[in-house]
Amino acid sequence: MKKECVAMLLAGGQGSRLYVLTGDMAKPAVPFGGKFRIIDFPLSNCTNSGIDTVGVLTQYRPLELNSYIGNGQPWELDRASGGVHILPPYQSADGASWYKGTANAIYQNIGFVDLYDPTYVAVLSGDHIYKMDYSDMLRRHKEAGAACTISVMEVPWSEASRFGIMSVDGEDRITEFAEKPKEPKSNLASMGIYIFTWSKLRRYLMEDEEDSSSENDFGKNIIPAMLGRGEVMAAYRFEGYWKDVGTLDSLWDANMDMLLPGSGLNLLDKKWPIYGRTAVCPPAFIGPASDVGNSVVARGCFIDGEVKNSVLSTGTTVGEGAVVSYSVVMPGAAIEPGARVSYAIVGENCRIGAGASVGAPPESASDPEQWGITVLGPDTVVAPGEIVPAKTMLDRHHVKEVEA
Amino acid sequence: MNGMHGIIFSYEKKTGLRELIEHRVHGSIPFAGDYRVVDFILSNMVNAGITDVGVIMHGKCQSMLDHLGSGKSWDLSRRNGGLTLLPAFAYAERREGAGQFRGKMEALGCVQDYLEHIRQDYVVLSDSDMVINLPLEDVLESHLRTGADMTAVCTSVLGDGSDTYFKLDDTGRITDTVRDVHTPEGYRCLNIYIISKELLLRLVEDCMAHNEYSFRGSVLQRRSGELHIRAYVWDGYAARINTILSYYQRSMELLQPSMRRELFCPDRPIFGKENDAPSSYVDPTGECVNSLISDGCDIQGTVKNSILFRGVQVEKGADVEGCILFKGTVVRQGAILRNVITDKHVTVRENGTLMGHASYPLVIARDSEV
Repeated sequence: MKKECVAMLLAGGQGSRLYVLTGDMAKPAVPFGGKFRIIDFPLSNCTNSGIDTVGVLTQYRPLELNSYIGNGQPWELDRASGGVHILPPYQSADGASWYKGTANAIYQNIGFVDLYDPTYVAVLSGDHIYKMDYSDMLRRHKEAGAACTISVMEVPWSEASRFGIMSVDGEDRITEFAEKPKEPKSNLASMGIYIFTWSKLRRYLMEDEEDSSSENDFGKNIIPAMLGRGEVMAAYRFEGYWKDVGTLDSLWDANMDMLLPGSGLNLLDKKWPIYGRTAVCPPAFIGPASDVGNSVVARGCFIDGEVKNSVLSTGTTVGEGAVVSYSVVMPGAAIEPGARVSYAIVGENCRIGAGASVGAPPESASDPEQWGITVLGPDTVVAPGEIVPAKTMLDRHHVKEVEA
Repeated sequence: MNGMHGIIFSYEKKTGLRELIEHRVHGSIPFAGDYRVVDFILSNMVNAGITDVGVIMHGKCQSMLDHLGSGKSWDLSRRNGGLTLLPAFAYAERREGAGQFRGKMEALGCVQDYLEHIRQDYVVLSDSDMVINLPLEDVLESHLRTGADMTAVCTSVLGDGSDTYFKLDDTGRITDTVRDVHTPEGYRCLNIYIISKELLLRLVEDCMAHNEYSFRGSVLQRRSGELHIRAYVWDGYAARINTILSYYQRSMELLQPSMRRELFCPDRPIFGKENDAPSSYVDPTGECVNSLISDGCDIQGTVKNSILFRGVQVEKGADVEGCILFKGTVVRQGAILRNVITDKHVTVRENGTLMGHASYPLVIARDSEV
């Protein structure tokens, strides 16, 4: 059945810069904001934008992600025609290969896209926190008569050299693309969200695959090739909240942004709901001795301590006299009585023993260079009374890793 | 096919629930911040491996129909069996001037065709106004072990005169069934029964033929001699919701951790309808203690000893204590609420004051603005 636009969601990355958090799961499966996981954002954007056919390209540790997405029902993507499909690498008659790059991942699934004979294909990332109406971007793509439309946002000039930077002409057509330029000519950064006219993209993917020197990457190969051949490339200016949560700091930041009025990331806003799979557990209980402020509390939590400026995910417990501040606590973690957690990301099902201390506020560090958030990987057990200092990372075997 | 089949009776009853049943039947009354009363018995059935459940409805069943939907939330949306909604359409034809069902036997008689097609050997019959977390597989095991004709679940915790009470002999057989007694004694009936499909069909046919409609009168009382009816005593959490006060008290006791642990034990999870609400948020100015908070709440004022359903907003300076606020309630700035139950989508205006008492909670009807 023909679809106007099919979305391909790149969810195969290892997310190595999330270190211990992605030891057992792909980055898009990392919990976010209480009840959600990162992938809920692009999936919900698809549903809210009227895209009902989504291919999710998985490669690295897909188990958690696959079981979370299931049949796609929470996002209304369990459809008779289309819906959500998990697309892992597969074996074919002439051999098997992993997804070599973002473009190769789409190339290997040309057959899937062709099933729906779409006019357009949206290529999305599975690790961004944002609310975007892809149908508005598609409208821009059609009006510009473009082969490719890239969504961009203005970033401060001082930070422009960290992004892929687009230079545009008077009609917001892209004239030049530079990946992390030392001297940026523009401050329009690519958000890694593309809409292509499928017939064009299909051709470029085939050609790219022929080129053995190519890295098969959208940013490095496909976009420069299209620009070089003079295809119409439109910029779509996005205003609103957007964050790539590919690093521990940015993941923590994005969770904190959710608590900040005016950050643009308001999950209680009903106009553009984010959907997610709801855990089976009773409502949160906030106990008589607790003190909760500026925090998000998911269902199944049991709080008897102090929780300030923090995000507590599904089924976490905070014992009496425990203090949690400026932290992100992932599902099922237990913080026992009297423990202190500060400026930390606590992974799923961690147990922090009574009186233990995890992380420290920035003002406690004598040398600001030595300070950073503390991260516990899933299932880490911190012994009662143990002290885990700032800028430390522990996995469940208590093997310390140092942030690169 | 072995195993059990669930039948839930969900129709209007005359009870003291006033505004709470103005637009709904007992089973669809919201409870414990995130559930409807019927979720409990439905989850009990699902947790005992039951895959086929019929819900007999009559009267104001719109909210129940909305809630149950395809049964997906309870994993009862099945290719074979699953959830079957049994509205009383045939009833109107059979009995002129269709009022309420006069009793369970009459309700069962109206779905006789459905009963005949039950695939399982045993049937669990249950009301939908009981909040309980009962291991039904244990009840079946007891039923099979004792070789009883029927097993009735009851508790030694006494209730009031509107409940039904059993007298048991030394072996656990029910010898007498009474109701409307001045001083309750014996075992309080929880209106949950296990019976074989075959015997159930026989009883339904016999009762219909004799124009007998009451389960209590015709089966428990009149046939107690010829049938071997045994008790299964369950002294765990069991709350029958039949008055505003009992609703309020049984809700509030869930603020005690021990009560919650009994009702929400992890071995037998309670399934409710999925929701799209994000997690709740407590503002820096907000204060929230000793309360059950469902998803999607925005708490900027003070909330104490209360139960908040989904998407409740408590604005700055508002003060809520001892209240049960249903889905979508908005408490505007400076409003003060004590011992109030607000039904769905109630708005309390700025600086308004609503005072009930723990012994007489104030109920605000659905969609009201006060």
